[in-house]
Amino acid sequence: MEGLLAFWAETGVANFTGGQLLMMAVGCLLLFLAIIKGFEPLLLLPIGFGAILANIPNAGFTDEGGLLYYAYHVGIETGVFPLLIFMGVGALTDFGALIANPKTLLLGAAAQFGIFSTLIGAIALNWVPGFEFSMQDAAAIAIIGGADGPTAIFLASKLAPELLGAIAVAAYSYMALVPLIQPPIMKLLTTKAEREIKMEQLREVSKKEKIIFPLMVLGLTILFLPAATPLIGMFCLGNLMRESGVVDRLSKTAQNELINIVTIFLGLAVGSKLSADQFLRIETLGILILGAVAFSIGTASGVLMAKLMSKLSGGKINPLIGAAGVSAVPMAARVVNKVGLEANNQNFLLMHAMGPNVAGVLGSAVAAGVLLAVLG
Amino acid sequence: MTSISEQLSDALGIMVMGMGLVFIFLSILIIGIGIVAKLFPPSVEVPTLATVSSNATEHTVLDPKLVAAITSAIHQYRAK
Repeated sequence: MEGLLAFWAETGVANFTGGQLLMMAVGCLLLFLAIIKGFEPLLLLPIGFGAILANIPNAGFTDEGGLLYYAYHVGIETGVFPLLIFMGVGALTDFGALIANPKTLLLGAAAQFGIFSTLIGAIALNWVPGFEFSMQDAAAIAIIGGADGPTAIFLASKLAPELLGAIAVAAYSYMALVPLIQPPIMKLLTTKAEREIKMEQLREVSKKEKIIFPLMVLGLTILFLPAATPLIGMFCLGNLMRESGVVDRLSKTAQNELINIVTIFLGLAVGSKLSADQFLRIETLGILILGAVAFSIGTASGVLMAKLMSKLSGGKINPLIGAAGVSAVPMAARVVNKVGLEANNQNFLLMHAMGPNVAGVLGSAVAAGVLLAVLG
Repeated sequence: MTSISEQLSDALGIMVMGMGLVFIFLSILIIGIGIVAKLFPPSVEVPTLATVSSNATEHTVLDPKLVAAITSAIHQYRAK
């Protein structure tokens, strides 16, 4: 009988708390979004499953010695996982469209206004009772507006590790929602005539230009913003491996096997931060709202900058491509293409939108570097 | 604990500085890309190859006799 009692005391049924059940429901919601809705399944599936694992009573996944504890400790606390992902993203990125039309870098810069304006929003939220965001917290929340998962996780792990779960979930959820969030803003800020603007075909880019580009970005970072070198350095390494053409094996590994392995553990480790005591707080709600605001402002400022450039260039630039200035590669560029086709079914903007899109990756990494340098 | 309005003015400062730095950084990059593009322009061979191949495709597309022959052949095959 005593043995049976001891067994009962160890079962999940006897030990569940309401919060754990709720967080398992959140995990199931993420699994639902990933599997049925197809929202960022590569990340939301492991995150959702990690959330379920982390809330099992008596399983000890997240206690010292548990798998999720180590995945978090080794990969995220140190910043290693997001950096390895960034290397893979670098190896996956073709900067050709950006090099052919470098002015689109300004669009990637303008869209970062979403990040910095949300910094103010997060601090202003402190007026609402129940919120106490420090400047570091606010910066980590604001980076959601960069729409770049690895950058958000990297910055959050450095500035506000206790908010990491909510920030990562918000960042990836909004990236998945790009096709829903962006088009209304894009249509609101542009006229039909502007959306119909066709852009000139991009020029050819030589191999040498593509090889020099990552080295030049790295050089600038070294000179002006060393705080951003972990992110931009790994990104440039990945891109150089791709463009140099002499290490195809390494480039392929970074693009496929390595990024996949890291994604599994990154997702699980982020999911492990979705434990009831860390996630079920009023701050989480604030983070989700601020993230959406950051994202919308980023999109709007990108479009407005593109409108300005369109006016200055005498109508050669379609303002829609500014929306791709938030990173979210390549989803944001695809959305631009779709909205452009709706206005004019002969207008293919995909390649033109890839320029600001990859510029957005650089822009948000630079913004993260600035925040890290000032507040880190 | 500093007051919220003080924090807000700090945040505003970071915003102005941050946006400024992002723009300056990427503007320098634009200049850099421009210089590199001048130094290492795409080789001349590539465009000529491209025009040759596009001519070739245009030629096949614009040959109505060939298109007609293929269409009728497909129709005959399907009719069997």
